[in-house]
Amino acid sequence: MRMALSFIIVASLLSVSRLGAADKLDFARDIRPILSDACFKCHGPDPTTREADLRLDTEEGARADLGGHFAVVPGHPESSELLKRVLSNDPDEVMPPPSTGKSLSPAQREKLAEWIRQGAGWSTHWSFTPPVRPEVPRPTNADWVNNYVDAFVLARLEQEGLKPSPQADKVTLLRRLSFDLTGLPPTIAEIDAFLADKTSDAYQKQVERLLNSPHYGERWGRLWLDAARYADSDGYEKDKPRFVYFYRDWVVKAFNDDMPYNQFLIDQLAGDLLPKPTQDQLVATGFLRNSMINEEGGIDPEQFRMEAMFDRMDAIGKSVLGLTVGCAQCHTHKYDPLTQTDYYRMFACLNNASEASAPVYAPEQLQQRANILRQIGEIEDDLRHRHPDWQAQMRAWEDMVRGNQPEWQVLRPELDTSGGQKHYLLEDGSILAAGYAPTKHTTEFAGKIDLPKITAVRLEMLNDPSLPLGGPGRSIFGLCALSEFQVTVAPADKPGEAKPVKIASVTADVNPAEELLDPTFNDKTDTRRVTGPAAYAIDGKNETAWSLDAGPGRSNVPRKAVFVLETPVEFPQGAIVTCKLVQMHGGWNSDDNQNNNLGRFRLSATSADGPTADPLPARVRELIADAEKSRSPAEDKAVFSYWRTQVGDWAAENQRIAELWASHPKSQSQLVLLEKDQPRMTHLLERGDFLKPKDPVSPGIPEFLSGKTTPEIRDRLDFARWIADPQSPTTGRAIVNRIWQTYFGTGFVSTSEDLGSQGELPSHPELLDWLTVELIDSGWSLKHLHRLIVLSNTYKQSSAASEELLTRDPDNRLLARASRFRLEAEVVRDISLAASGLLNREVGGPPVYPPAPDFLFQPPASYGPKVWKESTGPERYRRALYTFRFRSVPYPMLQTFDAPNGDSACVRRVRSNTPLQALTSLNEPLFLDCARALALTTVQKGGADDDARLAYAVRRCLARTPSPEETGILKQLLDEQKADFSQPDAKPWDLAANDPANPPALPEGVTPADLAAWTAVSRVLLNLDETITRE
Amino acid sequence: MNNHQPSGISPAIARRWFLRDCGVGLGALALGQLTQPKPAVAASDAMAVRPSHHPARAKNVIYLFMAGGPSHLELFDNKPALAERDGQLPPPSLLEGYRAAFINPNSRFLGPKFKFARHGECGAEVSELLPYTAQVADDMAIVKSMASDAFNHAPAQILMNTGAQQFGRPSMGAWVTYGLGSETRDLPAFVVFSSGSKGPSGGNSNWGSGFLPTVHSGVQFRGAGDPVLYLSNPPGVDDSLQADSLKTINQLNRLRLDAMGDPEIATRINSFEMAFRMQSSAPDLMDIGQEPKHVLEMYGAEPGKPSFANNCLLARRLVERGVRYVQLFHEAWDQHGGLVSGLTKNCKDTDQACAALVKDLKQRGLLEDTIVIWGGEFGRTPMVQGGNDGRDHHPNAFTYWLAGGGIKPGVTLGESDEFGFNTVADKVHVHDLHATLLHLLGFDHTRLTYRFQGRDFRLTDVHGQVVEKLLA
Repeated sequence: MRMALSFIIVASLLSVSRLGAADKLDFARDIRPILSDACFKCHGPDPTTREADLRLDTEEGARADLGGHFAVVPGHPESSELLKRVLSNDPDEVMPPPSTGKSLSPAQREKLAEWIRQGAGWSTHWSFTPPVRPEVPRPTNADWVNNYVDAFVLARLEQEGLKPSPQADKVTLLRRLSFDLTGLPPTIAEIDAFLADKTSDAYQKQVERLLNSPHYGERWGRLWLDAARYADSDGYEKDKPRFVYFYRDWVVKAFNDDMPYNQFLIDQLAGDLLPKPTQDQLVATGFLRNSMINEEGGIDPEQFRMEAMFDRMDAIGKSVLGLTVGCAQCHTHKYDPLTQTDYYRMFACLNNASEASAPVYAPEQLQQRANILRQIGEIEDDLRHRHPDWQAQMRAWEDMVRGNQPEWQVLRPELDTSGGQKHYLLEDGSILAAGYAPTKHTTEFAGKIDLPKITAVRLEMLNDPSLPLGGPGRSIFGLCALSEFQVTVAPADKPGEAKPVKIASVTADVNPAEELLDPTFNDKTDTRRVTGPAAYAIDGKNETAWSLDAGPGRSNVPRKAVFVLETPVEFPQGAIVTCKLVQMHGGWNSDDNQNNNLGRFRLSATSADGPTADPLPARVRELIADAEKSRSPAEDKAVFSYWRTQVGDWAAENQRIAELWASHPKSQSQLVLLEKDQPRMTHLLERGDFLKPKDPVSPGIPEFLSGKTTPEIRDRLDFARWIADPQSPTTGRAIVNRIWQTYFGTGFVSTSEDLGSQGELPSHPELLDWLTVELIDSGWSLKHLHRLIVLSNTYKQSSAASEELLTRDPDNRLLARASRFRLEAEVVRDISLAASGLLNREVGGPPVYPPAPDFLFQPPASYGPKVWKESTGPERYRRALYTFRFRSVPYPMLQTFDAPNGDSACVRRVRSNTPLQALTSLNEPLFLDCARALALTTVQKGGADDDARLAYAVRRCLARTPSPEETGILKQLLDEQKADFSQPDAKPWDLAANDPANPPALPEGVTPADLAAWTAVSRVLLNLDETITRE
Repeated sequence: MNNHQPSGISPAIARRWFLRDCGVGLGALALGQLTQPKPAVAASDAMAVRPSHHPARAKNVIYLFMAGGPSHLELFDNKPALAERDGQLPPPSLLEGYRAAFINPNSRFLGPKFKFARHGECGAEVSELLPYTAQVADDMAIVKSMASDAFNHAPAQILMNTGAQQFGRPSMGAWVTYGLGSETRDLPAFVVFSSGSKGPSGGNSNWGSGFLPTVHSGVQFRGAGDPVLYLSNPPGVDDSLQADSLKTINQLNRLRLDAMGDPEIATRINSFEMAFRMQSSAPDLMDIGQEPKHVLEMYGAEPGKPSFANNCLLARRLVERGVRYVQLFHEAWDQHGGLVSGLTKNCKDTDQACAALVKDLKQRGLLEDTIVIWGGEFGRTPMVQGGNDGRDHHPNAFTYWLAGGGIKPGVTLGESDEFGFNTVADKVHVHDLHATLLHLLGFDHTRLTYRFQGRDFRLTDVHGQVVEKLLA
């Protein structure tokens, strides 16, 4: 009975179908979105939630025999179970079930019926096949077509019965182009030059000028930084400042150099794995390190390493692939053919790496460093040249020192992971500190030593890639300070009888001279704290500490100290040795980078008499260990570099080299990813829980994205190369779509983070593919893509919207006009700075601190006290790109204008329009600085009379000249304010000067009241909708 | 006064602007509209009042977020057995698979440090530390079976406020204003205060809008100085200049609206007018000196001295003015050590004001449609940390209380085991709390969704059960 009813509905539906035979349905456009949204959740790729063994995401699945009936019978709607179910009135039978909250509209049902009637054609989801260059359409109005972009856009408009808008005027065009390519408004001189240029390629010349501007990289780099979730702090509770601006500058430079986009991706995903990676290629891996880091007390560092891994996957998905992969972290994707195993195979490509920080140098420092190393090399070469028997001599020395070290037994302490700073025991018996880093603390490590007699204890400081600059310490310099070292022993069979033992002497392979503790570790006390030789660790004073600082360029190396006991400890059964590491040389604020803790270290004991710290560097000791083993020339040189210091005759040369080292530049650091030597096993994680590892998985990529040939994926570099391959179906489309989105407000696919089944279908699929192929064929030149877009007539249209267009196409998806929108937060700030003349156009460098309310950075507004040392002078007026970004305390002006805070990758900013924005642009201090500066420059340079000055000020903000009506409105305000500020009790300097006590000099004939009135007018101009809008 | 339609613009544009920005006619739109706003457009009409799925029991929320993790064992969850076992090790079975933040889980039990007594007609057990809260026991529902998944501050706070441990999701306040819009055009719909010794561990993300339009973010108010950032006129600008400037800005913006036809310009005009109104309404709101002496005394509030008590009183004043969601962070409850002194101080700082807020709202008839929530991101271990005066983080069982807005008064729901370690009856997971709150606000938590990354996201993700026993 029910069936019969459905039959009637199907029949009637078909008979009244409004879809004529001419309306050939396209599976990808018309049908898949319906199936995906309404059906895939239970009848899709995920087998664990699949109902009735039916899958509708594949053609085979949809046509499969379900026991005498079929979901889809091509050409036969009446026999297709799918249609019966979607048409059913029975709540127990109808699909999708009411409990899902989903239902199909009559039009959607009609489409499904018609699709089956037309033969149920099938195709792969549009974005999962590599793009091929489509045929360029031939629109009727060929005159309008300037390049291929226009052909596609116009063909669509003609299909819709629409006409393009007229071209925007030259001033609007140049302003638009300047914002789009550099994020800055044009200067009056630039506008005048363009207006005066009557040559036919005047516009092209502007395009080239702006594409070659260093500000192009700043503009487009910033958008990439959104996707790369860039921020200058760690996030989570501590949210400490981090050192990543080299990555930011690398991105800017990559855009300026028009680095091929495929190379741009490979460097970021696997720069460290390229042969002999350059500093830039290492820095590029900062992309993967922009994940947040949790160092609050009591964390399990592995848990948050995994969180960072998930974040990396999400970032690659959204920003590189344009796909949502996060779902498959817990279960096979419900909509796209991405299995949970696929997810963890991609995860495995990334998982075998250390979260490292590398020393980095500014370009001039790199040069300096290269010079120093070259000169040292030359001196050493010269020594070898002048002493041809050097190898024999060195071998003789090696034979002499090879066996001169006593046996050491490693102390393997029982580690309790309780407490704030976590300690991990590594295979070699060394201890690695991780997680929360207290700034003043003492830790004890106790373990058994199976020696009947103990004469000394050794502390080795070791490198580890997880430590800043590789360690051995946890301070931002990768160093540490040991305030005191104390030892307690007990007989192994009587651990209760522990007694402190006196340390008689200490030797170490580094003994720096006494120095005042670096101000980084200021503890807000008056105590004079110093660092120096190892003896400072046994002097009983917490104010003095042993330091590893041997000067820039060579401090981050393993070190050791040997502590000789006054009286040897003799217990026949061995001893329980407890070493107490007192670390009191950190600063006052454990929510900042003020720890000075040991990072990785190893304790051991010996029975030998009178042991001293081995003066040989660990690496040299290792290289000479086996007299029979042949060494590479580089290894020989490494041994030579130490041995030469032992040759008395070479004192002069050694001195020269020491001086060269002393002139070595001090490095900055940058978070990078470095592949580990020891592979880390990756497992599929049940529901994404790192405590529930299941089957191991090997690196790989999802089948549906691998194209025709499945490449072999062994590591992160293979993975990166596959992602950047022209056959990788979504990589090119994703970036083309986002670039288009930046120009037109909306991408071809509005859901730019998801080009998958649940994403929107492209508005202009052929144009998207054509541009993608064009990008790839150009050698992945993004500037080529920009040129194509901005030279099109589509781009040059006016953005004024007629009533008809607003009604017909409110979001401008059809492109019958240019898009008009408020600019990004950073550009809003930069416009004010540029219009006022305050803008400091310097490119690159450490972040800056423009004014912000101090309370934001102090408890209880902020979790911990943060340092915001307000920039003065030109640094205050750098582009907003360079403003320091704390994740937990976003810079208020930028946050209010919708800048993302870097918590996760963002490929599409929202654009809000709120009263808080109005309050900010009206009242925030830096906006007021700008209004004052604009006023001053206007009275200085704007011309002789108020009309000229008004035109000047308006042009600085809007590029165009004001209309008479606008001039009238502004003049009224100006005149009223001049009158008001001329009153005897008025205080014009309060408004007009940053410091009323030190007002600026005024041009002749200008009164303070005039300047105040101009400041009021300037403030109005900076607050206009048009000023912060690209038209 | 309430008609903000700009004059001198074309009638068609004005009509569209009026429909979009003044909330007229939007009330009639189906909620389906709500689930798919277009980002660029949504911002301008996102604050229109919208209907809920079902008739709401509550329309406002005041969330007293006790950040740091208050000890349920000293405040609400009386465990005589724990007192008896003081100094003993916990049974090994209890610790299977248990991870602690700081301590070795196998640490000795620490008996409760304070006495409990029964209060009100409902006979709820409340600690001696909370004498004022005890007085409103009959208005509250105490939930002793809260549970969370996270045991570190930042992730646990983010979970409690956004339903996920990963950063980047919208906060509950953002979801609520997204769902219901705003009753006020003079103030933000979601206001946040912070007091105590530090800010919350999760920072801004605790009140962020995630992938929702940024207009839904909580706006941080401050108890002293400018309540909202950049609210005051800058130096040298008096009210008359500000008014003249606004007038000029809007005149020029209207000319541009005529020329370009972009409705976004109308929204900008509206934003500037609202900003100007906020400049007078916000200071007025913040002036608690207007309150009668007995009200100030009831809260323990003192004009000009920022405190949690002042913030509680301000929360009431905000709700009175139509602010939808007020959240007070008081980060002070992380008693790894100094348990006795820390709790004593925190309770002294908060107890009176929390109770006063409930009483005050009730007296004014506001409690009926305002939910007051008290609680933190987790509870604390029955095991000791350090000597004998500290407890570590503990997510398995802790206590919340709720009052008003359709919450059943005078009930104690749920139980933890004899040590206050695990829940044993009526477990209320974070997601269940969220589902229940949304239910009271008129939403089916499974249907309040936002499409992002191809998926319909919810506050409760794929979890959450409405706790029927909490509903009046």
